[in-house]
Order: sequence, then structure tokens, then C-alpha cells
Amino acid sequence: MVSEPVVLFFLLGAIAGLAKSDLKIPMAVYEALSIFLLLAIGLHGGVKLAESELVPLLLPGLAVLVVAAFIPLIAFPVLRWVGRMTRADSASIAGHYGSVSVVTFSVAVAYLAQRGLDYEGHMIVFLVLLEIPAIVIGILLAKAGTGGGTRWGKTLHEVFFGKSVFLLIGGLLIGYLAGPENIEPLEPMFWDLFKGVLALFLLEMGLVASSRIAEVRSYGLFLVAFAIVMPVVAALLGIVLGWGLGMSLGGTLLLATLYASASYIAAPAAMRIAVPEANPALSIGASLGVTFPFNIFVGVPLYFWLAEQLYAVGG
Amino acid sequence: MEGEPMRLMVIVTEAILEDMLVDEIRRLGANGYTVIDARGWGEHGKRRGNWRQGGNIRIEVLGNEELCTRIAAHMRDTYQKDYGLLIYTTDALLHN
Repeated sequence: MVSEPVVLFFLLGAIAGLAKSDLKIPMAVYEALSIFLLLAIGLHGGVKLAESELVPLLLPGLAVLVVAAFIPLIAFPVLRWVGRMTRADSASIAGHYGSVSVVTFSVAVAYLAQRGLDYEGHMIVFLVLLEIPAIVIGILLAKAGTGGGTRWGKTLHEVFFGKSVFLLIGGLLIGYLAGPENIEPLEPMFWDLFKGVLALFLLEMGLVASSRIAEVRSYGLFLVAFAIVMPVVAALLGIVLGWGLGMSLGGTLLLATLYASASYIAAPAAMRIAVPEANPALSIGASLGVTFPFNIFVGVPLYFWLAEQLYAVGG
Repeated sequence: MEGEPMRLMVIVTEAILEDMLVDEIRRLGANGYTVIDARGWGEHGKRRGNWRQGGNIRIEVLGNEELCTRIAAHMRDTYQKDYGLLIYTTDALLHN
């Protein structure tokens, strides 16, 4: 039994892709859907943030960032020495897994909405913050000791002014400045339609991922195992940290999901420019072909269940 | 045949490089360029073009032999090793 129906649209898209159906979401529609999702998530977080105090968030925010930095630092040596991958590939994949996926986050938000559970608005701030450091750590890991130059200017431009971070921050600021009452007229567009748009986006994700899923066998057993174990390890870090920081159950699920998710939009673009010698088929294949479906079908419900157990025992 | 003989240079590469390439093409002296979204299949696998990471572009530059050689050399030296890249030139007649 699937706990959240929108993920079935991913399955539908993946089946269409694998069966070579002529179903295709035009590029322009994909762009429009992603702009909508990023703005909706940003706006929603901004409104929630406007309702909360900012100063008490500084310390938890710092803790979330510091723990997040461990994810690529754990992933890199595992990939490099257990998986025997090249330095560039290990670093690039580590960067992808340290960074986050907005759509996986959105699925977790939908999962919470279905259960009527609330979460802290600053989770969206974490979503934005967590996109960036892992990418930089990944690049540094790739370059350490190689003496190779990096196109830092172009890479940082890609990270900060790439669509995803730019629209998330923009939506967040608009929501925060406008406040709950002024945003209300936008709610039918940006919130009531959220799940429907997410469903369409997941259909497209399924189509895109299908070619990666078809190639999974070529990645090798190690990478497939990594793409499943790594998110669970990262999610456990998130669950314990969320609980330790006294977050709500909903907030902890979102933190766990952020840690568990792997980027396939911001990180691939930045890595392709900064670490061109890394093979993008491996990193995108693992994050989109294995980790993304794992997270939305198994991960989110699993992390929720694990968090529930901890909250039941630990209070 | 009426028209000024020119060379038409076509570069097919990864969409992610667009901003960098067009800057460099202008710096190398081109008077203009045209970018077209593309998809296809080649040594770097299938490029479906349905999102930016999997998309290709096709850049066209019209110029003299010397400009085309200069751009081609720069592209080869900078991008050939790590990126999908196809460059070719053909004769063209400029009519206006």
C-alpha cells in the first residue's frame, strides 16, 4: 500500500519511459512546473517563517549545517576506498548526496499534509542552506592535492543564481515580507494546486529517471548499494538531530528527508562545470535512478516510522 | 552565384556550457552566433534534451576561415577532454 498517492505518478512516468511510450512532457512545461514548485515551497516557508522568531533559530541552524557537512565527508572515503572509484567521481557523488532534492522534500511535505502534521517554517531555510555547502565540499574534495584549477566564478554563479536556489530564496523573501494575510490571495494558486503540480512533475521525473533506471545494472552493485544505504544513514543523523533539537515530528521527518535526499538539479549543473572529469552518468544515475525512487517510495515512510519510534521512546 | 563566400561553423555540445561558450566565441572575434536547443545520440550516450542536464545545444557561427580555426582550436583545448563536443565547418554564402 502506497502511503502517498502522488508518488504513483513517478511510477507511471517510469513505466511510460521504460515501455518507450510516446509520452513526453515538453521542456517548457517542465520548466514551468519546476518554477511553480520552487516558488510554492519558498513562499510557504517564508510565510511560516514570518510567524516565528528568528534569533532562536541561529544555533539549531548552525547545528543542521555542521552535521550536514559530515554527509559528503562520510560518503567520499566510502566511495573512494570501498568503492574504488576515482577521486573526481567520488567527490562529485559525495557532493550530490550532501546536497538536497527539492522534489523529495516536496513529497515529504505532501506526506505530512496528508497526515495533518505541521512542521517548522524554517525547514525551508534549511532546504536552501543545505543545497550549497555540500557542492563546495565536493569540489574541494575533487581538487584536493590535484592542483587543478576550478572555474569558481562560473560555478558559484551557477549555485547561487541557478534557478533552484534563486527561486527558493526569492519565494522565501516574498512570503516572509508579505506575511500570512497578504499571501492569502495567492494561496489557491500556490498551495491548493501544489499536490496536483507535484504529481505532474513526478510524472516527468519518472520519464527522465526511466533511462537511468534502465542503466542501473551498468553502475555496479557497489554504487546501487551505496545509493540505498547512504540515504538511510544520513536520515538517521537527521532524525537524531531533529529530536535532539526539540523539533516537531513533522520537522524531524523533513530534516531526515533533506539529509537523505540527493541533488539531481543544482549539484549536477555545478559539478559538470567545476569537476568536468567526473562522469555525470554515475552521479545522476545513482541519485535519480536509485536514491530518488527509494526515498519517495520507501525512505519517507521509513524515516517517519523511525522518527515516531524515537519520539515514542525519547518523548 | 551571388553572395560573399564564408565559413559556417557548427558546434554541438552540452547545454550547460552555453553561457561560457558564447562569451568565449564573442571574445574570439565572432560578429554573431545562433544557439539552438538540440538532442541526439553519440559517444556520450543519448541526449534527450528534456531537461538541462541532459540537453545539447547547437551553436552556429558564420565567419572567415581564420576565425573558425581560432574558435575550433580554443574549443578543442578547453572542452574536448571532458565534455561531449562536435565541431565542423562548411562553406556558406552570405546573401545580405
